[in-house]
Amino acid sequence: MSLRTIGRSVLPVFGAGLFFCYASPAQATGQRVEKLFDVAGRPVVMIQAVTSGRIEVKSSKNRQVIVSASRASDKIAVDIEQVGDRIDVTAIILDPSAQPSELESNFLITVPEETELQLRTQTGLIYVEQVMGDMTLQSVAGDVHLKEVSGYIVVRTTGGSLVCTQCAGKLEFRSVSGGAQILQPVLTNVSLFSTSGNILYDGDFIRTGIYTMQSGKGTVEVHFSGTDSFDLHAQTTMGTVDNQASAFLKPDSHGAKHLAGKFSKSLIATVGQGLAKVELSSYSGTIRILKRN
Amino acid sequence: MQCRDVEIVLEQEGFAPLPDAAKAHLSECSSCQNLVADLTNIVAAAHLLPAEAEPPAHVWVSLRAQLAAEGLIKTPAEIARHTAPWWQSFAWLFRGRALATAAAGLLLVVAATYQLHKPTAPPTVQLDSFGDTALALNQQEHDLSDMQLASTSSSSPVDSSFRENLHTVDDFIAECEHHLKEEPQDDLAREYLSRAYEQKAELLSAMMDRGRSVN
Repeated sequence: MSLRTIGRSVLPVFGAGLFFCYASPAQATGQRVEKLFDVAGRPVVMIQAVTSGRIEVKSSKNRQVIVSASRASDKIAVDIEQVGDRIDVTAIILDPSAQPSELESNFLITVPEETELQLRTQTGLIYVEQVMGDMTLQSVAGDVHLKEVSGYIVVRTTGGSLVCTQCAGKLEFRSVSGGAQILQPVLTNVSLFSTSGNILYDGDFIRTGIYTMQSGKGTVEVHFSGTDSFDLHAQTTMGTVDNQASAFLKPDSHGAKHLAGKFSKSLIATVGQGLAKVELSSYSGTIRILKRN
Repeated sequence: MQCRDVEIVLEQEGFAPLPDAAKAHLSECSSCQNLVADLTNIVAAAHLLPAEAEPPAHVWVSLRAQLAAEGLIKTPAEIARHTAPWWQSFAWLFRGRALATAAAGLLLVVAATYQLHKPTAPPTVQLDSFGDTALALNQQEHDLSDMQLASTSSSSPVDSSFRENLHTVDDFIAECEHHLKEEPQDDLAREYLSRAYEQKAELLSAMMDRGRSVN
């Protein structure tokens, strides 16, 4: 294929592409747009933002999804559309040479209580409150704050941290340098991993629940209550295990043999009947175990 | 110089200052003037395209089938024998990285599986099994840093975060590897090293995606 042929055939394609891209509906609405969508069942809200900015999701009793979006400049475009019970929100960069401050878009979303979420952004806070449904939340440098949410919750960040208050269901968190704070949870399955962030779990362990918390270089800290019932296995290669609740930890009462790693410092113990399973590890950080007063 | 010669010059050197002979031909040839105008418009239009404008997968499949039908697709061996023209290098740049990402991911899975299911292997073999993964990821990281040097948005907070976290992961990998040289059978350290490689692969992949969507 010669260069001349490519020149003749590609130019009209690019022209058409540009026409369609700039003719997107939200473009004509200026710096702020609000849209309301009626939904029938459990809606799915997806936000895909390659821009920075805050995403806030709250619930209401109405069977409606309200999307309020603002953008810092016309160097980004926001597209919002409904397909059945799925609401897609997309923010894209039109001018890559724009300053970071011009590439900010903020979203305030009101959803029915039972809604599934898939949110993806670059920087800026993701805040979700009182939503029941599975959710996948991804951010590069932004933090994720969840309050009174339930479902299968998946959070992935590069540097952003997670604060999860009164969350229920299952939680999976992975980050490079972001930390995680799990406060007053009602979670039955928890898997937390960070390479260098700190992990704090302050709450009850549900019977039959499985809790895995790992940090490469950060601190892993667990605050449990006297009424909890769990088997504990804590181990670290280069770090330390700081057991500040030794009075409440008994040797493992179950028949299974637990072999401490030859090369790691381990603590194997049981609280109560050992109904839940708690596994803590850190490569070089501190593992701290405390009982709440 | 004839029209074909001008095309060859453009294919191989792009809009770099044209040789005098080509300039002389251009000044007299309306066909070649139109060609240069078309190419200039394409480059300008490409810069204006939004970041996420990516054709559906079926477009590539159809395009490939059409090119194959016309006999225009060459095997990699044939391509390697020829110098690729400047306008093909963009496609190959990204295609190579996508394959590298996939290959690194595959190597990672193989290495992790191997590590988890082979506890009694000799110490040197255990650490060496990460070697292919490390090599692939380091090559990918090297390619990426070259690409970022040419990027205009590398000063953004997102890019800074990516770079800082890549540095964090690299440091951690070095720490684990150093420890495993001394204690090759430390399962916990191997598990953390495996996770670190996994994170590095994901980070590099995300950084490349970012490069594609922003630039």
